[in-house]
Amino acid sequence: MRTSRNSTPGSINSKVPGQKLLEVKGLTKVFTKGQGLVKSTILAVNNVSFSLQRDRAEIFTVAGESGSGKSTVAKLILGFEIPTAGQILYKGQELSTLRGKKQFMQDVQPVFQNPFETFNPLKKVESYFLETEKNFARPGAAKKCLELVGLSMDEIGGKYPSEMSGGQLQRASIARALITNPSLLIVDEPVSMIDASLRMSVINLFKKFQEEQGVSILYITHDLATAYYVSDRIAIMLRGQIVEIGSVKKVLDEPLHPYTQLLKSSVPVPDPAEKWTSDIALSDMEAKEYVQKGCKFAGRCPHVKELCRIREPDYYEVDGRSVKCYIYEKGWDQSA
Amino acid sequence: MSILRVENLKAHYVTRKHRKVTRVLAVDGVSFQINKNEIYGIAGESGCGKSTLLKAVSGLIKPPLEVVEGQVQYQFDDRDLDLLTLRGEQERREIRGVRISHIPQGSMSVLNPVRRIRKSFEDIIGAHLGIKDKREFEDMVRKHIEALGLDWNVMHSFPHQLSGGMRQRITIALATILRPDVIFADEPTTALDVVVQRGVVQLIKTIKKEQQNTLVIVTHDLAIHANLCDRLAIMYAGKIVEEADAEALFADPKHPYTEMLLDSLPIVGDRTTRESAPGAPPSLVHPPSGCRFHPRCPQAMERCKLEAPNLIEVEIGHRVACFLQEGIVDENVQEFDAR
Repeated sequence: MRTSRNSTPGSINSKVPGQKLLEVKGLTKVFTKGQGLVKSTILAVNNVSFSLQRDRAEIFTVAGESGSGKSTVAKLILGFEIPTAGQILYKGQELSTLRGKKQFMQDVQPVFQNPFETFNPLKKVESYFLETEKNFARPGAAKKCLELVGLSMDEIGGKYPSEMSGGQLQRASIARALITNPSLLIVDEPVSMIDASLRMSVINLFKKFQEEQGVSILYITHDLATAYYVSDRIAIMLRGQIVEIGSVKKVLDEPLHPYTQLLKSSVPVPDPAEKWTSDIALSDMEAKEYVQKGCKFAGRCPHVKELCRIREPDYYEVDGRSVKCYIYEKGWDQSA
Repeated sequence: MSILRVENLKAHYVTRKHRKVTRVLAVDGVSFQINKNEIYGIAGESGCGKSTLLKAVSGLIKPPLEVVEGQVQYQFDDRDLDLLTLRGEQERREIRGVRISHIPQGSMSVLNPVRRIRKSFEDIIGAHLGIKDKREFEDMVRKHIEALGLDWNVMHSFPHQLSGGMRQRITIALATILRPDVIFADEPTTALDVVVQRGVVQLIKTIKKEQQNTLVIVTHDLAIHANLCDRLAIMYAGKIVEEADAEALFADPKHPYTEMLLDSLPIVGDRTTRESAPGAPPSLVHPPSGCRFHPRCPQAMERCKLEAPNLIEVEIGHRVACFLQEGIVDENVQEFDAR
């Protein structure tokens, strides 16, 4: 039986004015490695807060390098991992009450990095569509979703994942996610496995869904160029923390946090006229940054002062965004 | 002055099963020259044959890879060398690491996981120079490592103790310690974070400046090519479709595939709509007839399905394999109109 999608009290589909689609407050995840004396902990996600609005669909990017905790954030929201501390509210309801519920799983859908791992290699691709349609949607939904991503039932019919190209299969995996008519798609590095000439065909789909279907998208990526192209707002993560968050145009056009500045200047530009000229310093022991006191970027920051190494900075509201850096405190220039 | 000349090279993966022979035409008729002391880039999507080309010209030819046809000629300062006539492992060993060296894609697969980094350096130096004296060895390695801005302490680490970026830099140091004349790098920065990637590009430039050698870089990332290369070749389905100076290629791409590839790249600071080309790269077991790009080409003509265009020089140093550039286009259009 299909669950009703009407606004029944207590269901996640009842709308409360001003409510967020997704609200993450002080999210923290600690991974422990080993046991007893050799036990070590890693703070993969450290006090992360952000929200996606509900009135209008938006594409929100969480960007960062490997080890920044961006994928862990996605896993926590999908309920694959249990947060150590903090709160995740989906449509005003605590995630722990929703985890594993059919209604939640219908409403929030993932798209993973490697489409060849998304699908079981021994199962035909079409079976995913037929099953999902039978259990969660109206007849014909699968066909409609395949059309949305530019595929047809004929193209995937009778094929195993290995018989399709990466681009095709990734589009199929996105179509599969759309069958249940979700409000939120969580896409983790969806194009990093896809050929350059086909990448934009997938990225453009996200724009289309946002505009035409009203689907909000949480886009997890390391690629600032596609993030700039597709998203509305962006959060830059470093070693488990968000260091800068705001509208993508502001954050990437004029980055304020020294780390965002470094990140942006390190994105290679496909134009020989814009080669890198200056040299950068690399941190040799990257793992140390996790346990570093104070600002995680202090070891590499060109503006570092004594305070940065001792105490972690708060968020400062500058020019319509939040920046986790002391530079934006009044009188910082004069201080020692 | 060229250091490497490749003529009509064909390298195929050949598998035989129950007398049925399958050929993957990974490199199918490629000719180019690499000049001394330049950085030459080879770009293309996955499965276009760029890594196979690199293997074939650097002598890493192992079954099922077979060189079917063609020539690979090196012209070093003191001797000429025909790579494909080398027989036996011994002759190849003398060349590898000393004359030409190879920076592979996955740094974890190069370094032995159960031996310290130092041992890997001892192996390569011992094999080629036969240095047994500990102090001489240490001096040589320390000088090289420090010139590259790496810390001497990493020598005592195991590969798993280092980050991916550090490992990649060690692999590069290892490949360049014997000052080879030609260095081949296969996707040297892929799978690295952007900041580390920039560090590795920086390192490659430093080595080039210090050792004055020739570099061949293979990667799918055109932005890396723009940053590093002097000249650049674009490969599609086993063939070079365009080759030019990096500046000329990015400013004025002439092949429809190159144009399409460049147009689809997103850039920070630009939100104008970008489109991908229709279709997908073809299978190299049964590549399309004629020009291999014709099924995806928006400007494809009848002729493109029948004949394969040759790589011709349309401007000085700018070679393109496309009938649109041959000046024959006009005739065709006229014929069509007349009908």
